[in-house]
Amino acid sequence: MDRQEYIEFILDHYHNPRGKGKLDDPDLLVNGGNPGCGDVVTLYVKLDDNDRITDARFDGEGCTISMAASSLLMEKLVGKTLPDIDAMDYAELVDEMGREVVQSRLRCATLAMDTLKAGAREYPSRKATGQKLIQPMVLAHTLKTD
Amino acid sequence: MSTNGYAHPEMLVETDWVAEHLKDPKVRIVESDEDVLLYEVGHVPGAVKIDWHTDLQDPLKRDYIDRERFEQLMSKAGIANDTKVVFYGDKNNWWACYALWVFKLFAHKDAVIMNGGRQKWIDEGRELSKDTPSYAPTQYRAQERDDKTIRAFREDVREHISSGLPLVDVRSPQEYSGELLHMPGYPQEGALRGGHIPGAKNIPWARAARENGTFKSPEELTQLYQPQGVTPDKDIIAYCRIGERSSHSWFVLTYLLGYPNVKNYDGSWTEWGNLVGAPIEK
Repeated sequence: MDRQEYIEFILDHYHNPRGKGKLDDPDLLVNGGNPGCGDVVTLYVKLDDNDRITDARFDGEGCTISMAASSLLMEKLVGKTLPDIDAMDYAELVDEMGREVVQSRLRCATLAMDTLKAGAREYPSRKATGQKLIQPMVLAHTLKTD
Repeated sequence: MSTNGYAHPEMLVETDWVAEHLKDPKVRIVESDEDVLLYEVGHVPGAVKIDWHTDLQDPLKRDYIDRERFEQLMSKAGIANDTKVVFYGDKNNWWACYALWVFKLFAHKDAVIMNGGRQKWIDEGRELSKDTPSYAPTQYRAQERDDKTIRAFREDVREHISSGLPLVDVRSPQEYSGELLHMPGYPQEGALRGGHIPGAKNIPWARAARENGTFKSPEELTQLYQPQGVTPDKDIIAYCRIGERSSHSWFVLTYLLGYPNVKNYDGSWTEWGNLVGAPIEK
Protein backbone atom coordinates (compact mmCIF):
# COMPACT_ATOMS: atom_id res chain seq x y z
CA MET A 1 0.00 0.00 0.00
CA ASP A 2 1.16 3.54 -0.55
CA ARG A 3 1.00 6.26 2.08
CA GLN A 4 -2.45 7.45 1.06
CA GLU A 5 -3.84 3.92 1.21
CA TYR A 6 -2.44 3.45 4.71
CA ILE A 7 -4.05 6.72 5.75
CA GLU A 8 -7.39 5.59 4.29
CA PHE A 9 -7.02 2.27 6.14
CA ILE A 10 -6.40 4.07 9.45
CA LEU A 11 -9.22 6.53 8.92
CA ASP A 12 -11.61 3.69 8.10
CA HIS A 13 -10.87 2.12 11.50
CA TYR A 14 -11.16 5.55 13.12
CA HIS A 15 -14.53 6.34 11.56
CA ASN A 16 -15.88 2.77 11.77
CA PRO A 17 -14.28 1.29 14.86
CA ARG A 18 -14.48 -2.49 15.28
CA GLY A 19 -15.20 -3.79 18.74
CA LYS A 20 -15.97 -0.38 20.26
CA GLY A 21 -17.96 -0.57 23.46
CA LYS A 22 -18.02 -2.37 26.77
CA LEU A 23 -18.61 -5.92 27.97
CA ASP A 24 -20.56 -6.87 31.04
CA ASP A 25 -18.70 -8.95 33.59
CA PRO A 26 -15.33 -9.09 31.80
CA ASP A 27 -12.57 -11.35 33.07
CA LEU A 28 -10.01 -8.77 32.20
CA LEU A 29 -10.58 -5.04 32.35
CA VAL A 30 -7.46 -2.98 31.89
CA ASN A 31 -6.81 0.56 30.95
CA GLY A 32 -3.93 2.63 29.80
CA GLY A 33 -3.16 6.09 28.64
CA ASN A 34 -0.67 8.55 27.34
CA PRO A 35 -0.60 11.32 29.90
CA GLY A 36 1.16 13.63 27.50
CA CYS A 37 -1.51 13.79 24.85
CA GLY A 38 -4.70 12.60 26.48
CA ASP A 39 -5.19 9.22 24.84
CA VAL A 40 -7.00 6.79 27.09
CA VAL A 41 -8.20 3.29 26.33
CA THR A 42 -10.04 0.69 28.38
CA LEU A 43 -10.09 -2.92 27.23
CA TYR A 44 -12.75 -5.48 28.14
CA VAL A 45 -11.89 -9.14 27.57
CA LYS A 46 -13.79 -12.35 28.20
CA LEU A 47 -11.86 -15.60 28.53
CA ASP A 48 -12.96 -19.21 28.49
CA ASP A 49 -11.77 -21.85 30.96
CA ASN A 50 -8.57 -22.28 28.99
CA ASP A 51 -7.83 -18.57 29.05
CA ARG A 52 -8.69 -18.22 25.39
CA ILE A 53 -10.31 -14.94 24.38
CA THR A 54 -13.97 -15.31 23.46
CA ASP A 55 -14.86 -11.64 23.14
CA ALA A 56 -13.19 -8.25 23.41
CA ARG A 57 -14.17 -4.59 23.29
CA PHE A 58 -12.43 -1.28 23.70
CA ASP A 59 -13.61 2.07 24.90
CA GLY A 60 -11.76 5.31 25.11
CA GLU A 61 -10.87 8.57 23.52
CA GLY A 62 -7.85 9.87 21.80
CA CYS A 63 -6.18 10.64 18.54
CA THR A 64 -6.95 9.01 15.20
CA ILE A 65 -3.99 6.65 15.44
CA SER A 66 -4.63 5.40 18.99
CA MET A 67 -8.31 4.79 18.30
CA ALA A 68 -7.69 3.15 14.92
CA ALA A 69 -5.01 0.92 16.44
CA SER A 70 -7.41 -0.12 19.20
CA SER A 71 -10.01 -1.03 16.59
CA LEU A 72 -7.47 -2.97 14.55
CA LEU A 73 -6.36 -4.89 17.63
CA MET A 74 -9.93 -5.93 18.45
CA GLU A 75 -10.15 -7.71 15.11
CA LYS A 76 -7.25 -9.97 16.08
CA LEU A 77 -8.16 -11.13 19.56
CA VAL A 78 -10.90 -13.76 19.50
CA GLY A 79 -9.35 -17.22 19.77
CA LYS A 80 -6.04 -16.04 21.11
CA THR A 81 -4.60 -17.28 24.40
CA LEU A 82 -2.72 -15.17 26.91
CA PRO A 83 0.66 -16.46 25.67
CA ASP A 84 -0.49 -15.53 22.16
CA ILE A 85 -1.09 -11.98 23.39
CA ASP A 86 2.33 -11.90 24.95
CA ALA A 87 3.82 -12.99 21.65
CA MET A 88 2.01 -10.39 19.54
CA ASP A 89 4.48 -8.22 17.70
CA TYR A 90 4.37 -4.44 17.99
CA ALA A 91 6.27 -4.14 14.73
CA GLU A 92 3.65 -6.09 12.82
CA LEU A 93 0.91 -3.79 14.07
CA VAL A 94 2.93 -0.73 13.15
CA ASP A 95 3.68 -2.13 9.71
CA GLU A 96 0.03 -2.93 9.17
CA MET A 97 -0.87 0.69 9.87
CA GLY A 98 1.95 2.00 7.73
CA ARG A 99 5.18 2.64 9.57
CA GLU A 100 5.85 5.87 7.73
CA VAL A 101 2.43 7.21 8.65
CA VAL A 102 2.51 6.37 12.35
CA GLN A 103 6.23 6.55 13.11
CA SER A 104 5.94 9.86 14.93
CA ARG A 105 3.18 8.42 17.11
CA LEU A 106 4.39 4.93 17.91
CA ARG A 107 3.18 5.24 21.47
CA CYS A 108 -0.33 6.01 20.23
CA ALA A 109 -0.18 3.15 17.74
CA THR A 110 0.85 0.65 20.38
CA LEU A 111 -1.17 1.94 23.33
CA ALA A 112 -3.97 -0.65 23.15
CA MET A 113 -1.61 -3.55 22.51
CA ASP A 114 0.71 -2.41 25.27
CA THR A 115 -2.21 -2.14 27.67
CA LEU A 116 -3.49 -5.59 26.74
CA LYS A 117 -0.06 -7.18 27.09
CA ALA A 118 0.32 -5.69 30.55
CA GLY A 119 -3.05 -7.12 31.54
CA ALA A 120 -2.31 -10.51 30.02
CA ARG A 121 0.90 -10.75 31.98
CA GLU A 122 -0.77 -9.90 35.25
CA TYR A 123 -3.91 -11.98 34.80
CA PRO A 124 -2.51 -15.45 35.71
CA SER A 125 -1.41 -14.35 39.17
CA ARG A 126 -4.81 -12.78 39.81
CA LYS A 127 -6.58 -15.87 38.56
CA ALA A 128 -4.49 -18.01 40.90
CA THR A 129 -6.06 -16.14 43.78
CA GLY A 130 -9.54 -16.67 42.37
CA GLN A 131 -9.92 -13.09 41.18
CA LYS A 132 -10.53 -11.40 37.89
CA LEU A 133 -8.24 -8.60 36.79
CA ILE A 134 -10.28 -5.46 37.07
CA GLN A 135 -8.36 -2.20 37.15
CA PRO A 136 -10.11 0.94 38.30
CA MET A 137 -11.29 3.13 35.48
CA VAL A 138 -8.96 5.94 34.61
CA LEU A 139 -10.82 9.17 34.19
CA ALA A 140 -9.80 10.82 30.99
CA HIS A 141 -9.54 14.23 32.55
CA THR A 142 -6.76 13.05 34.83
CA LEU A 143 -4.69 12.22 31.78
CA LYS A 144 -5.31 15.33 29.81
CA THR A 145 -2.90 18.16 29.82
CA ASP A 146 -5.15 20.34 31.91
CA MET B 1 -9.24 40.99 12.05
CA SER B 2 -9.68 40.84 15.77
CA THR B 3 -10.51 44.01 17.58
CA ASN B 4 -10.04 43.10 21.19
CA GLY B 5 -8.14 44.34 24.18
CA TYR B 6 -5.06 42.24 23.59
CA ALA B 7 -1.65 43.86 23.43
CA HIS B 8 -1.19 42.65 19.85
CA PRO B 9 -4.65 42.04 18.41
CA GLU B 10 -3.12 41.72 14.96
CA MET B 11 -1.75 38.32 16.02
CA LEU B 12 -5.22 36.77 15.99
CA VAL B 13 -7.74 36.33 13.23
CA GLU B 14 -11.25 35.05 13.70
CA THR B 15 -12.84 32.20 11.78
CA ASP B 16 -15.00 34.69 9.84
CA TRP B 17 -11.89 36.41 8.57
CA VAL B 18 -10.37 33.11 7.49
CA ALA B 19 -13.55 32.09 5.68
CA GLU B 20 -13.34 35.35 3.71
CA HIS B 21 -9.69 34.80 2.78
CA LEU B 22 -9.66 31.16 1.72
CA LYS B 23 -8.56 32.10 -1.79
CA ASP B 24 -6.46 35.12 -0.93
CA PRO B 25 -3.09 34.54 -2.66
CA LYS B 26 -1.35 36.59 0.02
CA VAL B 27 -2.66 34.29 2.75
CA ARG B 28 -1.60 30.72 3.44
CA ILE B 29 -3.61 28.76 5.94
CA VAL B 30 -1.62 26.13 7.82
CA GLU B 31 -3.00 23.32 9.95
CA SER B 32 -0.70 22.02 12.67
CA ASP B 33 -2.08 19.37 15.00
CA GLU B 34 -1.12 17.10 17.82
CA ASP B 35 -3.18 14.39 16.13
CA VAL B 36 -1.12 13.81 13.03
CA LEU B 37 -3.97 12.55 10.85
CA LEU B 38 -6.64 15.12 11.60
CA TYR B 39 -5.69 17.10 8.50
CA GLU B 40 -6.49 14.01 6.44
CA VAL B 41 -9.87 13.68 8.19
CA GLY B 42 -10.70 17.10 6.80
CA HIS B 43 -9.24 20.60 6.90
CA VAL B 44 -9.99 24.21 6.12
CA PRO B 45 -10.22 24.38 2.32
CA GLY B 46 -6.89 25.34 0.83
CA ALA B 47 -4.96 24.74 4.03
CA VAL B 48 -1.60 23.01 3.96
CA LYS B 49 -0.33 20.74 6.71
CA ILE B 50 2.80 21.29 8.73
CA ASP B 51 3.68 18.45 11.05
CA TRP B 52 5.67 19.61 14.07
CA HIS B 53 7.57 16.33 14.17
CA THR B 54 8.37 15.52 10.57
CA ASP B 55 8.50 19.05 9.15
CA LEU B 56 9.92 21.24 11.92
CA GLN B 57 12.33 18.93 13.73
CA ASP B 58 15.80 17.97 12.61
CA PRO B 59 15.57 14.25 11.82
CA LEU B 60 18.87 13.43 13.54
CA LYS B 61 19.73 15.71 16.42
CA ARG B 62 17.31 17.16 18.93
CA ASP B 63 16.86 20.56 17.38
CA TYR B 64 14.77 22.41 14.87
CA ILE B 65 15.40 22.45 11.17
CA ASP B 66 18.03 24.87 9.89
CA ARG B 67 17.57 27.87 7.62
CA GLU B 68 17.98 25.88 4.42
CA ARG B 69 15.39 23.29 5.37
CA PHE B 70 13.02 25.99 6.55
CA GLU B 71 13.32 27.71 3.18
CA GLN B 72 12.57 24.41 1.45
CA LEU B 73 9.53 23.88 3.66
CA MET B 74 8.25 27.37 2.89
CA SER B 75 8.78 26.92 -0.82
CA LYS B 76 6.93 23.59 -0.81
CA ALA B 77 4.00 25.13 1.08
CA GLY B 78 3.83 28.05 -1.33
CA ILE B 79 4.75 30.54 1.36
CA ALA B 80 6.67 33.64 0.33
CA ASN B 81 8.41 36.07 2.65
CA ASP B 82 5.44 38.42 2.54
CA THR B 83 2.74 35.75 2.87
CA LYS B 84 0.42 36.07 5.82
CA VAL B 85 0.51 32.65 7.47
CA VAL B 86 -2.58 31.72 9.46
CA PHE B 87 -2.04 28.82 11.82
CA TYR B 88 -4.80 26.73 13.30
CA GLY B 89 -5.00 23.30 14.87
CA ASP B 90 -6.47 20.97 17.43
CA LYS B 91 -6.39 21.22 21.23
CA ASN B 92 -6.86 24.96 21.64
CA ASN B 93 -4.28 25.74 18.98
CA TRP B 94 -1.59 24.21 21.12
CA TRP B 95 0.42 22.92 18.14
CA ALA B 96 -0.48 25.87 15.99
CA CYS B 97 1.27 28.09 18.54
CA TYR B 98 4.23 25.75 18.52
CA ALA B 99 4.54 26.01 14.74
CA LEU B 100 4.18 29.78 14.94
CA TRP B 101 6.95 29.92 17.52
CA VAL B 102 9.25 28.00 15.18
CA PHE B 103 8.34 30.37 12.34
CA LYS B 104 9.35 33.25 14.61
CA LEU B 105 12.74 31.62 15.20
CA PHE B 106 13.24 32.29 11.50
CA ALA B 107 11.65 35.74 11.81
CA HIS B 108 8.77 35.10 9.44
CA LYS B 109 7.12 38.49 9.66
CA ASP B 110 3.40 37.88 9.32
CA ALA B 111 2.23 34.78 11.19
CA VAL B 112 -1.01 34.71 13.16
CA ILE B 113 -3.34 32.30 14.93
CA MET B 114 -6.96 31.57 14.00
CA ASN B 115 -8.72 32.09 17.32
CA GLY B 116 -10.54 28.96 18.44
CA GLY B 117 -8.66 26.71 16.07
CA ARG B 118 -9.95 23.64 14.35
CA GLN B 119 -12.71 22.89 16.84
CA LYS B 120 -14.34 26.31 16.52
CA TRP B 121 -14.25 26.07 12.73
CA ILE B 122 -16.02 22.71 12.92
CA ASP B 123 -18.46 23.79 15.64
CA GLU B 124 -19.54 26.66 13.41
CA GLY B 125 -20.44 24.18 10.69
CA ARG B 126 -17.87 25.47 8.27
CA GLU B 127 -16.65 23.53 5.27
CA LEU B 128 -13.92 20.91 5.60
CA SER B 129 -12.00 19.61 2.63
CA LYS B 130 -10.04 16.42 2.02
CA ASP B 131 -8.30 17.84 -1.02
CA THR B 132 -4.60 18.43 -0.60
CA PRO B 133 -3.81 21.68 -2.35
CA SER B 134 -0.69 22.27 -4.39
CA TYR B 135 0.86 25.70 -4.62
CA ALA B 136 3.59 27.03 -6.84
CA PRO B 137 7.00 26.88 -5.15
CA THR B 138 8.37 30.15 -3.83
CA GLN B 139 11.85 31.62 -3.54
CA TYR B 140 11.72 32.04 0.23
CA ARG B 141 14.75 33.60 1.88
CA ALA B 142 14.98 33.13 5.65
CA GLN B 143 17.46 34.54 8.09
CA GLU B 144 19.52 32.17 10.22
CA ARG B 145 17.54 30.69 13.09
CA ASP B 146 17.61 33.05 16.07
CA ASP B 147 18.06 30.94 19.18
CA LYS B 148 18.64 33.88 21.52
CA THR B 149 15.51 35.99 21.58
CA ILE B 150 12.58 33.68 22.23
CA ARG B 151 14.30 30.36 22.90
CA ALA B 152 15.91 29.33 26.20
CA PHE B 153 18.46 26.60 26.86
CA ARG B 154 19.30 24.84 30.09
CA GLU B 155 22.08 27.31 30.95
CA ASP B 156 19.58 30.14 30.58
CA VAL B 157 17.36 28.29 33.02
CA ARG B 158 20.19 27.89 35.53
CA GLU B 159 20.88 31.62 35.34
CA HIS B 160 17.18 32.30 35.69
CA ILE B 161 17.07 30.24 38.88
CA SER B 162 20.13 32.03 40.25
CA SER B 163 18.59 35.42 39.50
CA GLY B 164 15.27 34.51 41.07
CA LEU B 165 13.39 35.28 37.87
CA PRO B 166 10.02 33.68 37.08
CA LEU B 167 9.79 30.27 35.51
CA VAL B 168 6.40 29.05 34.38
CA ASP B 169 5.73 25.33 34.36
CA VAL B 170 2.69 24.99 32.09
CA ARG B 171 2.20 21.23 32.54
CA SER B 172 -0.65 19.68 34.47
CA PRO B 173 -0.51 19.82 38.27
CA GLN B 174 0.18 16.07 38.35
CA GLU B 175 3.22 16.44 36.15
CA TYR B 176 4.37 19.48 38.14
CA SER B 177 4.22 17.49 41.35
CA GLY B 178 5.89 14.47 39.79
CA GLU B 179 2.88 12.29 40.46
CA LEU B 180 2.22 11.34 36.84
CA LEU B 181 5.61 9.82 36.22
CA HIS B 182 4.95 7.35 38.95
CA MET B 183 1.51 6.16 37.97
CA PRO B 184 1.72 2.37 37.67
CA GLY B 185 0.92 0.84 34.33
CA TYR B 186 1.51 3.98 32.28
CA PRO B 187 4.31 4.69 29.86
CA GLN B 188 7.08 6.84 31.19
CA GLU B 189 7.13 10.31 29.80
CA GLY B 190 10.75 10.31 28.84
CA ALA B 191 12.20 11.61 32.10
CA LEU B 192 13.94 9.77 34.90
CA ARG B 193 12.77 12.15 37.61
CA GLY B 194 9.43 13.76 38.30
CA GLY B 195 8.80 17.20 39.71
CA HIS B 196 9.57 20.69 38.51
CA ILE B 197 12.38 23.20 38.14
CA PRO B 198 13.01 24.92 41.49
CA GLY B 199 10.93 28.02 41.92
CA ALA B 200 8.71 27.44 38.90
CA LYS B 201 5.07 28.42 39.19
CA ASN B 202 2.50 25.97 37.89
CA ILE B 203 0.15 27.72 35.48
CA PRO B 204 -1.22 25.04 33.12
CA TRP B 205 -1.28 26.25 29.54
CA ALA B 206 -4.90 25.36 28.79
CA ARG B 207 -6.21 27.70 31.47
CA ALA B 208 -5.59 30.46 28.96
CA ALA B 209 -8.29 29.03 26.70
CA ARG B 210 -12.07 28.98 26.93
CA GLU B 211 -14.21 25.89 26.41
CA ASN B 212 -14.60 26.76 22.73
CA GLY B 213 -10.84 26.96 22.27
CA THR B 214 -10.63 30.75 21.96
CA PHE B 215 -8.29 32.71 24.15
CA LYS B 216 -9.60 34.19 27.36
CA SER B 217 -9.97 37.93 27.75
CA PRO B 218 -6.97 40.12 28.60
CA GLU B 219 -8.37 40.63 32.09
CA GLU B 220 -8.75 36.89 32.68
CA LEU B 221 -5.27 36.21 31.34
CA THR B 222 -3.77 38.91 33.52
CA GLN B 223 -5.43 37.33 36.53
CA LEU B 224 -3.96 34.00 35.58
CA TYR B 225 -0.35 35.16 35.57
CA GLN B 226 0.17 38.29 37.62
CA PRO B 227 -0.93 36.94 41.03
CA GLN B 228 1.75 34.26 40.57
CA GLY B 229 4.44 36.90 40.15
CA VAL B 230 4.64 36.45 36.40
CA THR B 231 4.63 40.11 35.47
CA PRO B 232 5.67 42.01 32.34
CA ASP B 233 8.57 43.80 34.01
CA LYS B 234 10.48 40.51 34.40
CA ASP B 235 12.16 38.12 32.01
CA ILE B 236 10.08 34.97 31.81
CA ILE B 237 10.93 31.40 30.82
CA ALA B 238 8.11 28.95 30.14
CA TYR B 239 8.53 25.21 29.83
CA CYS B 240 6.54 21.99 29.67
CA ARG B 241 7.65 18.54 28.50
CA ILE B 242 9.18 19.26 25.09
CA GLY B 243 8.29 22.92 24.60
CA GLU B 244 5.00 22.53 22.75
CA ARG B 245 2.48 23.43 25.44
CA SER B 246 4.74 26.20 26.66
CA SER B 247 4.77 27.76 23.20
CA HIS B 248 1.03 28.32 23.72
CA SER B 249 1.78 30.13 26.97
CA TRP B 250 4.63 31.99 25.24
CA PHE B 251 2.13 33.20 22.64
CA VAL B 252 -0.30 34.33 25.31
CA LEU B 253 2.30 36.18 27.35
CA THR B 254 4.09 37.72 24.38
CA TYR B 255 1.27 38.73 22.09
CA LEU B 256 -1.93 38.78 24.07
CA LEU B 257 -0.52 40.33 27.23
CA GLY B 258 2.43 42.10 25.62
CA TYR B 259 5.22 40.84 27.88
CA PRO B 260 8.45 41.99 26.20
CA ASN B 261 10.82 39.19 27.25
CA VAL B 262 9.41 35.69 27.22
CA LYS B 263 11.39 32.64 26.20
CA ASN B 264 10.34 29.08 25.58
CA TYR B 265 12.61 26.38 27.02
CA ASP B 266 11.99 23.61 24.50
CA GLY B 267 14.39 21.23 26.24
CA SER B 268 11.78 21.36 28.97
CA TRP B 269 11.17 18.48 31.34
CA THR B 270 12.47 15.78 29.02
CA GLU B 271 15.84 17.50 29.30
CA TRP B 272 15.74 18.85 32.85
CA GLY B 273 14.24 15.70 34.34
CA ASN B 274 17.06 13.65 32.82
CA LEU B 275 19.91 16.07 33.45
CA VAL B 276 22.49 14.70 35.86
CA GLY B 277 22.74 16.92 38.89
CA ALA B 278 19.99 19.32 37.90
CA PRO B 279 18.07 20.57 40.95
CA ILE B 280 14.42 19.50 41.18
CA GLU B 281 11.55 20.39 43.46
CA LYS B 282 8.48 18.34 44.13
